[in-house]
Amino acid sequence: MKRTILLLLIPLLLLSGCSRNQQDTNTPYRIAVITMMQGGEFWGALKNGARSARLATGAVLEFFAPVNESDYSGQIAFVEEAIAQEFDAIILSPSHHTQLEHVVGKARSAGIKVVFADTGLLQEEPDFLITADYQMIGKHVAEHAFSHFSEDEPINALIIGSLPNTTSMTALIGSLETAFHQRENARINSVAYSFSSEVLAHDTAVRAIKADPSINLIFALEEYTAHGVAAALSPDPKIHFIAFGNTQHEIQLLEAEVIDALVVVNSFNLGYRSVLAAVELLEGKRPVQKLVDFALVTKESMFSEEHQHILFQTFQ
Amino acid sequence: MKRKKQPYSIMTLLTFAIAVVSISFTLLISAILYSQFSSRIKENATVSTREIVRQVNANLSYYTNDILTIATYARDLAKQTNILPREEIENRLRSIVDSRQDIVCLVLFDLGGETLLSTSDAPRRPTEEILGQTWFTRAIGGEGNFYFTGPHVQQLFTSSYPWVITYSQQISYTNKQGELSQGLLLIDMNSWAVSELCQSAKLGSSGYVYFIDNNGKIVYHPYQQLINSNLFNEDIESVQEHIFGTFTNTFEGRERLVIIDTVNNARWRIVGVAYMDELMAGLDQYTTVMLIILAFCIITTILIARTVSAYISRPIKELERLMNSVERGDFSSPPTVGGNQEVAALSQTFAAMVQRIRQLMDDIVKSQEMKRKFELDALQAKINPHFLYNTLDSVVWMAEQNDTSGVITMVTALARLFRISISKGRDIITLGEELEHVRNYLIIQQIRYRDKFQFSIDMEPGVENLPTIKLIVQPIVENAIYHGIKYLQEMGHLDIKVFKKKPGAVIIEIRDNGVGMDEQRLNTILTMSSPSQKNGEGIGVRNVHQRIQLYYGSDYGLEISSELDVGTLVRLVIPEQDPIQPIKVAH
Repeated sequence: MKRTILLLLIPLLLLSGCSRNQQDTNTPYRIAVITMMQGGEFWGALKNGARSARLATGAVLEFFAPVNESDYSGQIAFVEEAIAQEFDAIILSPSHHTQLEHVVGKARSAGIKVVFADTGLLQEEPDFLITADYQMIGKHVAEHAFSHFSEDEPINALIIGSLPNTTSMTALIGSLETAFHQRENARINSVAYSFSSEVLAHDTAVRAIKADPSINLIFALEEYTAHGVAAALSPDPKIHFIAFGNTQHEIQLLEAEVIDALVVVNSFNLGYRSVLAAVELLEGKRPVQKLVDFALVTKESMFSEEHQHILFQTFQ
Repeated sequence: MKRKKQPYSIMTLLTFAIAVVSISFTLLISAILYSQFSSRIKENATVSTREIVRQVNANLSYYTNDILTIATYARDLAKQTNILPREEIENRLRSIVDSRQDIVCLVLFDLGGETLLSTSDAPRRPTEEILGQTWFTRAIGGEGNFYFTGPHVQQLFTSSYPWVITYSQQISYTNKQGELSQGLLLIDMNSWAVSELCQSAKLGSSGYVYFIDNNGKIVYHPYQQLINSNLFNEDIESVQEHIFGTFTNTFEGRERLVIIDTVNNARWRIVGVAYMDELMAGLDQYTTVMLIILAFCIITTILIARTVSAYISRPIKELERLMNSVERGDFSSPPTVGGNQEVAALSQTFAAMVQRIRQLMDDIVKSQEMKRKFELDALQAKINPHFLYNTLDSVVWMAEQNDTSGVITMVTALARLFRISISKGRDIITLGEELEHVRNYLIIQQIRYRDKFQFSIDMEPGVENLPTIKLIVQPIVENAIYHGIKYLQEMGHLDIKVFKKKPGAVIIEIRDNGVGMDEQRLNTILTMSSPSQKNGEGIGVRNVHQRIQLYYGSDYGLEISSELDVGTLVRLVIPEQDPIQPIKVAH
């Protein structure tokens, strides 16, 4: 009799087992997305991309970011919080290439998958890194900048980056320096950092131009930096200006020919693929390595179908 | 060596047969139900998806009709420029635009690209930029033609970059001279208006609706940003091949249901994409439940089959158990079992057979008892010839000596002896009768051996009427005389005592002062066919011992103790039974 009851119970146990499995399967992954700062079109598009991936993966995302891009201690606190809250994965754009190594190691030791988006760390390897090819971008941007000058025309450049201690900025500036090194009559007069401060970028540009009137090319490697630099420029056709970003103001400056070209890294793609990679890692899969695309947009190409979607993606 | 296969039990065969038939039918029915249900689900999913796509298409048609209505109103106003001032017309149009969040602006251009009417005060882009835009060039060609663009960044006003869908149409307007002239009407709509129409359509959890134009170019797609970033691919090729209708295909590893319909008023087609695995998710749940029910049915069927076969085979097993019991010799329990008709009949037949066997065995027991009785009788009969010969020899001897009184005494004693021996054919007599028989025997022997011995018989009061098998004392006495007293030089003594001994035994003690026996002889006197016995010595004693044990069991019999040149003591032990009446014999 007992055996009979036991046999009859087997299907019920199977049924309850199936229900439990289904419930387990439906438990979404919790992913913390820690960007460098709260505002900015670049980070906004990254977050939009992450949100789109949330729809595709069913993962639960929580966004964290300090107010200022240079506030790496704020980022450390957010990573600590993510560890404490036992997130399944962290998507991180470290604002300092060494200061976050310890906390990232701690997160990984806690079994949390860590995906770096856009930038990385010098020593600590992440579970996965998604970034653009900043070496290639630097080379491409330099070539475009050189196209504004004749062969024998001297080029004196000012580079203003955002943060000095990020791997992406280091790679980008390094690539520009290499390109300048390879061209005759071209030199980088100065490399400065704005820490994503429009005011600091403005002041830096004003000082640099005043100190060295031969400057005829400026690179602003971040959107707030570009705003600051643009404000510092008088209508001087002899200074060419190439900026990174796709804010409305930058686009207007592009149309007004204050900016010669805008470099737009597809941060939507960055955010989307970071979430996909994190989920794939959590599922035990190995994400495919693929670089994030970018576009160099000029006034002539800004309304082309190809560039419309990347330049105006935040307006959609 | 190949082992002979063990035959299956009837229970196993029945269980197997019932289970196979039932499970086969269950599986067949399940397969039919599954097939029916899956085709029905697929059909319903297709109808439902088609209905959703049709609904989206209808909503889009309502929306484009609205735009066309506004365009018609604007067209009418454009013909009244000679009646109404420009500000009045623009105010009327602006009131429409302001009442609708989806419309960005409404502008009337002349064919040279100059603005005639506009609902926006924003600075306009140069005319040459406007003339080259697709919405302008495509609408030019004949009055009445209208054109809807796909989503694009508006390029009408400086410093403004909204994503819009543009409606453009060549129309007639009244110019400043009051003559009809050709112009171009533009209505820019926010692109999210169309995306909202599509996003409301839910095709499974990740299905979607998108639009393509007549060239197969995507007009609107909910995953446009992913497509732009090469994170999502759309199967435009298959849609172009099918033009219109419904089809299923597999794209990037997932089976999709694709429904294509044409959009009214625009040269667009609406494409609904639903993933079959999501549409058929209900089937998966049904399959899971069905598999569980199927498993439950199969287990239940096996259990029922087992129960039924157990019900059928249990009486057979019970019958087998009874047969084994009978085989072991246990005939006590009646070999009948319940159960089905056939087994009950078999059981009754077996019961009759057991009854017959039992009867035959009783007959065998009876015949064995008879045989034993015959053996007893034969043993008793063995005594008589000895005794009769010896007695008659003594009587002859006395007659030759003219000892008349001796003859009389001896014959009288002999007569009494035979009278008790006969006992009307009974085997059981009283102890009194048995000892009377011995007394007569001793009288005869005393005469024969010329007073060579003396004897005494002492019987405890109350034992006279106790029963005993007859002729058990005389052979012992005979043995004592022939093998003990006979060889004495002095007077022999033979004393007989009868007394009760607790618990429940009666002792008949015969003591003589004969020559006695050595130990070896003593040990063998009661055993059968001992080679040491000669001249029939001990045969009578052994006969008596066997008879007592045959009749009363092995707890009773003879106990002999003897010592050479001292004498022998024989004790007959019989059970104490209820007294009986002595046999009345006619004198």
